[in-house]
Amino acid sequence: MTGSLTQRQLRLVKQVCWTLSLCIVAVPFVFPFLWMISSGLKGPSEIFGRPSLIPTAFRWSNYLEVFSYQPFAAQYFNSLYIAVTVTVLTLFISSLAGYALARLRFAGAALVALFLVSALMVPEEVTIIPNFFLIRWLGLSDTHWPLILLPVFGPQGIVGTFLMRQYFLALPKELEEAGKMDGLSRFGVWWRIALPMSRPALAAVAIITFLNSWNLFLEPLIFISSLEKFTLPLALSNFTDPYGSPLWHLQLAATTLAVVPILIVYLIAQRQIIESFALSGVKG
Amino acid sequence: MKVRLKSITLSALALGMMSSALAAAELRFTVWTGNEAHLSMLNGIAESFKETHPDVTVRFETIPAGDYTQKLTFQLAGGNPPDAGWMMEDAASTFANAGVLEDLAPTLNAADGYDLEDFSEAAMGLWSGDGKVWGVPFSTSPFVIFYNKEMFDAAGLEDPLALSAKGEWDMDKFQEVAKALAESSGKWGFEFKDGQGYDTRIMHALMPPIRAYGGDVWANQECGFDKPEAIAAVQQLHDMVFKDKSIVPPGENGDYFSGNSAMTINQISRASLMSDAGFDWGIAPLPTGPGGEAPVIGQAAIVVFTAGQQKELAAEFVAHMTNKTNVATMAQFFPPARNSVLSSEAFTASNELIPAEQMEIVGEAIAKGKVLPSHERSPQILAAMKPRVDALWRADANVEESLKAVCAAIQPLL
Amino acid sequence: MTMKPATGVTVRGERAPWLTLKMREAIEAWLFISPTLAGFLIFFAGPLVAVVWYSLSEWNLLSQQATFVGLANYNDALFRNPDFWLVVRNSIVFAVGLVPLNMALALALALALSRRFRGVVFFRTVFFAPVVTSAVAWAIVWKFLLQGEAGFVNQLLAAIGIQGPNWLREPDWAMVAVIVTRVIKMVGLNMILYIAALQAIPRDYEAAARLEGASNWQIFRMIIWPLLGPTTLVIMVITTIGSFKVFDHIYLMTGGGPENGTLVLAFYIYQQGFQFFDVGYASALAMIMFVIVMGLTVVQLALRRRDT
Repeated sequence: MTGSLTQRQLRLVKQVCWTLSLCIVAVPFVFPFLWMISSGLKGPSEIFGRPSLIPTAFRWSNYLEVFSYQPFAAQYFNSLYIAVTVTVLTLFISSLAGYALARLRFAGAALVALFLVSALMVPEEVTIIPNFFLIRWLGLSDTHWPLILLPVFGPQGIVGTFLMRQYFLALPKELEEAGKMDGLSRFGVWWRIALPMSRPALAAVAIITFLNSWNLFLEPLIFISSLEKFTLPLALSNFTDPYGSPLWHLQLAATTLAVVPILIVYLIAQRQIIESFALSGVKG
Repeated sequence: MKVRLKSITLSALALGMMSSALAAAELRFTVWTGNEAHLSMLNGIAESFKETHPDVTVRFETIPAGDYTQKLTFQLAGGNPPDAGWMMEDAASTFANAGVLEDLAPTLNAADGYDLEDFSEAAMGLWSGDGKVWGVPFSTSPFVIFYNKEMFDAAGLEDPLALSAKGEWDMDKFQEVAKALAESSGKWGFEFKDGQGYDTRIMHALMPPIRAYGGDVWANQECGFDKPEAIAAVQQLHDMVFKDKSIVPPGENGDYFSGNSAMTINQISRASLMSDAGFDWGIAPLPTGPGGEAPVIGQAAIVVFTAGQQKELAAEFVAHMTNKTNVATMAQFFPPARNSVLSSEAFTASNELIPAEQMEIVGEAIAKGKVLPSHERSPQILAAMKPRVDALWRADANVEESLKAVCAAIQPLL
Repeated sequence: MTMKPATGVTVRGERAPWLTLKMREAIEAWLFISPTLAGFLIFFAGPLVAVVWYSLSEWNLLSQQATFVGLANYNDALFRNPDFWLVVRNSIVFAVGLVPLNMALALALALALSRRFRGVVFFRTVFFAPVVTSAVAWAIVWKFLLQGEAGFVNQLLAAIGIQGPNWLREPDWAMVAVIVTRVIKMVGLNMILYIAALQAIPRDYEAAARLEGASNWQIFRMIIWPLLGPTTLVIMVITTIGSFKVFDHIYLMTGGGPENGTLVLAFYIYQQGFQFFDVGYASALAMIMFVIVMGLTVVQLALRRRDT
């Protein structure tokens, strides 16, 4: 009797210790967010004063100033529409290619796959200089095109291709065969049968692609020079007054504005998002 | 409708056949300010350009100051060049040397009543040579000490302006008051320009004291950091940071503008943002040293890019923008380099934030000051210096050895 | 009826008589794959070839003047510029510090969070949150937290009686700081991959081993670890490549300093090419980076193959 009780207590104590130690490990993961939100509400002098998570006075005006200081709304919109465009294009193109690699037999398929895989292993810094000249030659400097073209056709699109290929390989073929019997073209089979069955993989590609585009930094840094064409990461790294002095409090308020919505979406859809990333690893 | 069509045809013809001055055109002009007062002044100047060039509009494009030179590089190299724009002094030699800046001399000399000679020779130094003019300085902004009057009062100290009037404002006094201020307030005595003296503003931190001691960072292709004057100056700063603990040290922030530091050094143009400061403030000249008075000037000029499609028109706009009237207009924000404007009463009264007697400090500094150093390989030199200067800013660093290492690193580039 | 070319979209029902089934499938496959392939050739393969060509020339980004100089840029990098070896060393230190730390932490967290218990979803969410956050925001915030005495990290350390270093101002500590903050940012991703792999391991393996009296460590060493092999390989390759790609993190947190202590290849290429306008030298560096990353990947794959 008493033995089983202590057993139970022991388990409870163990559980509490366990949770407590996880909480401690979690501090550096959570704290930056709390600090960012709190500092975005402080005045410039307070950020560097005695550290405290609670501002002495909440400066909501920081959030308004962010918008008057830079065309922040336009920059927000740029990031959003570029990320959506990149995601839609990547879904379309990579699922087409992934389908061909998974289902269709053709000479050179293995070679094509090998070539594409090699692109995954090369950091984009290797090709950024020629791509800079390529974009210039195309007359697309200081436009949003490179921010769309490079991710869609670069390594990110190829990650999508292989994710889709992997998923198509695991799908049963019977339905597609049936579709062909009913007179659907190859495109029709892909569009009406294969794609609807691959929602989880499409979601995975969409989430990964969106986040990648949303957080892109090197490409905007190099290709975009007009303030109103900036994307968020670039805008965040550029909060200085007309004489080049940093405006910390505005920068942190802007950072909060850029991060919090994504965090909220993540919290709502966290199960789906985490599963997508788990799926993305399967590709091997 | 018909009339409109006709005028379009006409202007198309004009574009093709007549001088560009008559054509409908838009000039792209890059600036690093997003300040509304600045922009409305600039737009006013563009508006007045229409008197002589009715069809020409000027679009001012803001690029954030921090990345300005870098972004300009991307625009020029990326085949998307602006027609004209502002340029900072540290980029001057690099860009002129790469041949991307248009020679403005012919246009400026031809402009009516322009009087190129009116610009002081010292001010034009960086921007001209061999009878060519790469840029026209629009902001010749001396570095001054900004001080927090309230902190001086609280510490019971005489402020730098008063000390300067008595002729006592030298490097030793500077060190003494900074230490007293830090000790009495628990805050900092002095902050390098924008708190970035250890990173992006190395030159702004080291230059003024080195010059006050009579040294130079480099001159005639020879490194000056390891000369006795420079070593003495930097040693003093080093002591202030690590012994007195009166200068905001590396890795810390003690922002002057939010009241956490009693003094800082900055360009006079920065005063236009001081109206937001929640404290009494003033400006004073830089402390003098064994080398006497040594004002240091930060400069920015207007340039035209060779890669642009409308070089002549852009050059004409630069001539308009820097004529006597417009230089006087711009003087409310940007200290001018035209002698005629500098000596005018209009100039000393131009900045409502700063009393006339303090504005005289500015005028004097412009006349006597030396511009920050520039070099055709500035980016490389600064990058080569950076790691060695990092090593200097350690508590246990040997200043002389560190400065010798700086020279060893940059000498091959000079 | 009209016969359109076999675009895969319009060919319907009736089959073009002159095409065998096999040929038709091949054509369709190429059409399906063509957008990806074209993009690959234009934005990846082409530039890769171009970079070789660029690396053999002296080319100023601003003045746009280029001259062929043979292998001079490689010679400069490998034998003349002392910075180059420092940069390679930094890149390797960064990878060697980041990859094991990231993988060990990811595995530990995954082992802790692969079983169901109260709060498991909360913790998975927390550890994964930095992954969805932009690297720029992450770097900006940590730069503040890691300030000298006033920084929050050092305030915390001071509270328990430790005087923290001036993190971002001392070369070795700065390297530690960028590695650790990068690990915190990215570890959630590897954690999730490990959790997925752990959950795919049938429970009876473990149960059977327990019946035989195996300890937790033995179960991990003899059963779980070998079964995680393929996942570990994937994670190792991805994380290693990722460690060479790191740019924004360094650019914003340290700018390569102090004393060039965190100057890594990705940043060095950017600096040489776009700040010093030396396109040729930067391209030679890019080629060297390519060789290093490819070499490491091949070695990792080969080692793994030998093991199994």
